[in-house]
Amino acid sequence: MGCGQGRLVAPTPDREAAETLRVALSSEDASSDDGAGAAASTGTGWGTLTGRFVFVGTPPAAKQLIVDKDTAVCTAEGRKLFDQSLQVDESTGGLANVVVFARKVSRVKEREIAEEPLVFDQKVCEFLTPVFAARVGQPIDVRNSDPIGHNTNVSGTSFNQLIPAGEGTLFTPSRETGMPTMVTCNIHPWMKAYAVFREDGYVAVSSADGSFTLPDLPAGEEVELQVWHERSTGPNGALGADMPAYDWSSKGRFTVTLEADQTTNIGDIEIPASALGG
Amino acid sequence: MRNRLAGLFWSLLFLAVPVLGVAVFAVAPSIDVWLPKDVSAHGKEIDSLFYFILALTGVVFIVTEMLLFWFIWKYDVAARGEEKATYIHGSHTLEVIWTIIPAVVMLFLAIYQMNAWADVKMRRPVMKPTVEVVARQFEWRLRYPGPDEELGTPDDLFLVNDLHVPVDEDVLVQLKSMDVLHSFFLPNLRIKQDAVPGMKIPVWFKATETGQYDLVCAELCGWGHYKMKGRITIESREDFDAWLEQKYREQEATQPNPQEDML
Amino acid sequence: MNLPSATACKNNQPTTTAPRLSLACLGVCCLLPILAGCGQTPAATFRPNMVESAKQRLQPEQEQQVATILEAMFGTPDNPVVLPETGLDIAKLRLAAGPVHSDIVGRKNGLFREHCSHCHGVTGDGMGPTAAFLNPYPRDYRPGWFKFKSTERADKPTHADLVTILNNGIYGTSMPSFELLGETKVDALVEYVKYLSMRGEAELSLMRYYFELDDEDEGKLPETRDFLIEEILLPVAERWQEAEDAVIEVPEMPEVDLTESIAMGKELFYGNKANCVKCHGVTALGDGQANDYDDWNKVVKQWSAELQSAHETSTSDMTSEERSEHRAWLAKSDRVLAGDALDPRTIQPRNLRQAIYRGGRRPLDLYYRIHAGINGAPMPAAAGTLSPDEIWHIVNYIRSLPYEFDGELGADRSMVARDRL
Repeated sequence: MGCGQGRLVAPTPDREAAETLRVALSSEDASSDDGAGAAASTGTGWGTLTGRFVFVGTPPAAKQLIVDKDTAVCTAEGRKLFDQSLQVDESTGGLANVVVFARKVSRVKEREIAEEPLVFDQKVCEFLTPVFAARVGQPIDVRNSDPIGHNTNVSGTSFNQLIPAGEGTLFTPSRETGMPTMVTCNIHPWMKAYAVFREDGYVAVSSADGSFTLPDLPAGEEVELQVWHERSTGPNGALGADMPAYDWSSKGRFTVTLEADQTTNIGDIEIPASALGG
Repeated sequence: MRNRLAGLFWSLLFLAVPVLGVAVFAVAPSIDVWLPKDVSAHGKEIDSLFYFILALTGVVFIVTEMLLFWFIWKYDVAARGEEKATYIHGSHTLEVIWTIIPAVVMLFLAIYQMNAWADVKMRRPVMKPTVEVVARQFEWRLRYPGPDEELGTPDDLFLVNDLHVPVDEDVLVQLKSMDVLHSFFLPNLRIKQDAVPGMKIPVWFKATETGQYDLVCAELCGWGHYKMKGRITIESREDFDAWLEQKYREQEATQPNPQEDML
Repeated sequence: MNLPSATACKNNQPTTTAPRLSLACLGVCCLLPILAGCGQTPAATFRPNMVESAKQRLQPEQEQQVATILEAMFGTPDNPVVLPETGLDIAKLRLAAGPVHSDIVGRKNGLFREHCSHCHGVTGDGMGPTAAFLNPYPRDYRPGWFKFKSTERADKPTHADLVTILNNGIYGTSMPSFELLGETKVDALVEYVKYLSMRGEAELSLMRYYFELDDEDEGKLPETRDFLIEEILLPVAERWQEAEDAVIEVPEMPEVDLTESIAMGKELFYGNKANCVKCHGVTALGDGQANDYDDWNKVVKQWSAELQSAHETSTSDMTSEERSEHRAWLAKSDRVLAGDALDPRTIQPRNLRQAIYRGGRRPLDLYYRIHAGINGAPMPAAAGTLSPDEIWHIVNYIRSLPYEFDGELGADRSMVARDRL
């Protein structure tokens, strides 16, 4: 390690291309923006997208978490804590905690950002919402319903705050996260959740039965959505699915065209066990 | 004839050693490659010991080198023909002489320098440490005891690499090492003491002149040994106290840039 | 460079020549690299962020595109280039960059390689040749996280913050003091650290952007000014510039008797509100939390866990093409993990009894640490939860901890670890 032994040979830059590019970057007027970026809007009205994620196969037993601190509270009366990354509804096979958000929309319906804080709570040393979504600018009430202190550390943001027992503090996300970002408690390292913040608010997390609903999406034109799951083996957690009708890619993206004032149901999206790491 | 020249070459080569050796020592002080300026009270004695031993070993050096030259010159085969060397078993008298003479010289040196050694390593001034120096890879961490003169109390002053001491006063350094062997070397104060992990070694000196000099590590202590360089500032008692006070104020700052606030 | 000689020797060995020849051969083989070392050394290059590249599953041509864009924007280790948008001073960078040499007026150049790169690496990736031997590891500048500063947790440090770190060193780590280099040199080095950090962050953004590309981009980043400057460079550079005006305002210490303040601080330390005790331990020896990682180590830790599960994933429902691609990626990732990442290490909460404070010992420094938390480390922010007065009480308590048993500062035998437990 460190001696260069067995180190991969790194690619070398293309000197000439770099030189040319440097000249282009240094000249102020060489702006080559051809107006790309936001696709032109072709449709009108707003529609709603729903669907349901279904886990195919037998879900593996959840791993028990090692709880070595504050056991008087966290594992009182022989309580055990389990890894929550894979939650499958027993009767319907619905896959919970899948994040779906709009990746590309040509227009955004004007909606008020809710002033009512979204509650993100932790109790008996677990985050009550393992995956939560919020719109940028919406206040989040980070609560602690335990008799012990926690800290909540949202990676990739400025937020890592002490949350005293029984208290709460407000956190207002100011930037998009891209893919969901991890939330941890450093005092209790087994505690883990994910948060996703979107500027346009077009983001949903599948519920216990695996269903999700995204209202107020632009209708009459293509909308591209991004899908994520914590255990996905795809790049950056992107969740692929076998849905050629919606051009569902290995990067976890699919496109739909909605009809105005209608709810479009794309049906059951089957996720094989292998897509979630076996 | 060719062999004669070869013999000449070797004898002259051996002659060059004492000639050049003496020349180097004669020239060095005039081109400033000599002992650094001495600003310590005990330095004169150390230096005179150094000169004394230099003279003593210098004479022996010149005599032995000249003998070496003379023998090569005199007993060159080409000049003396095929005359065979005679085998002798050795001379007991000679051996006794050249064992006793160095032994006497050594004994003399050991006794002669005893006082200087005691001054530097044994007669520690009765006082509390002026400063604690902790050597570590690769810097000198300093701790001044503060007004209560006790180390390990809340008024300690913590600094790094920038050692200040008062002039014309006994200074007692408590030397420690945090990791490996280092050597606390103040060339201008004729002080060099190894810092040994796990030991608390007292080092003392009295500076006689104000000024800024080097503090370096004189024991190869790792790959960053070269950068383990500090600075010693010798200043008057008033300046020293003012400096301590200023540094302590900086250490206790509760607002950014207290100096600016005071202006 | 010793390859030809080595093969030549190998060819000789199987023949029946006396062992003396092979011995001579061995000698030559050992000597040749030394002799060859006297010749020209290859120019220093920046090492790509291979961990991120493997994580993002970049193709070789994509890695090359990133390297090319970065060379256009930042130049090479020997010849740095900066765009005006970075706000960096090229004159300072030149003093710090390049091999160690004296310029025409006898001024020493190449300061970074002389003083910093053996730990922090030429690229500033914290993986210089001596890095693996140090604990904690040297800082990797590339993610742009810095611990000890006067700004809010997620903000960049100010120029003055980094100067302070270089001047004081970081006691408790392997970072020594560089104060005696003088202001100009320290200033140049700080500028260069900022340069390496910006470059590293730009590299991360570029590598991560491949995932954002659409299918019609064909896996190539747009090389336009709009994209590279507006989307990649400016968001990083602006945050460095904003830091200068974002220093935390520190209210005056409340005028309370010190003993009283320490007592209140102690209450907070052990209480449920500030909860310091959870990590720093009931003895304050830093033994409360031993199995957490800092963000730098967490990157490697999490990725190696991901890789582990990828190894265990069944490949049975992959097409043969997908399977070979998957295997190639795994093989590459394993090599990257071995050669381009240091073994993750847990982070130790600070032992508060030693009077060693990495980010500075001034009450002001401790106030910053508690107010904003420590970026990149598990230490959370207290601002918002605790009032400034309460933070000051904790500062006073913490400063009393190393001397708690001396009978001076509100000493209290029940604080002896054994009694408390």
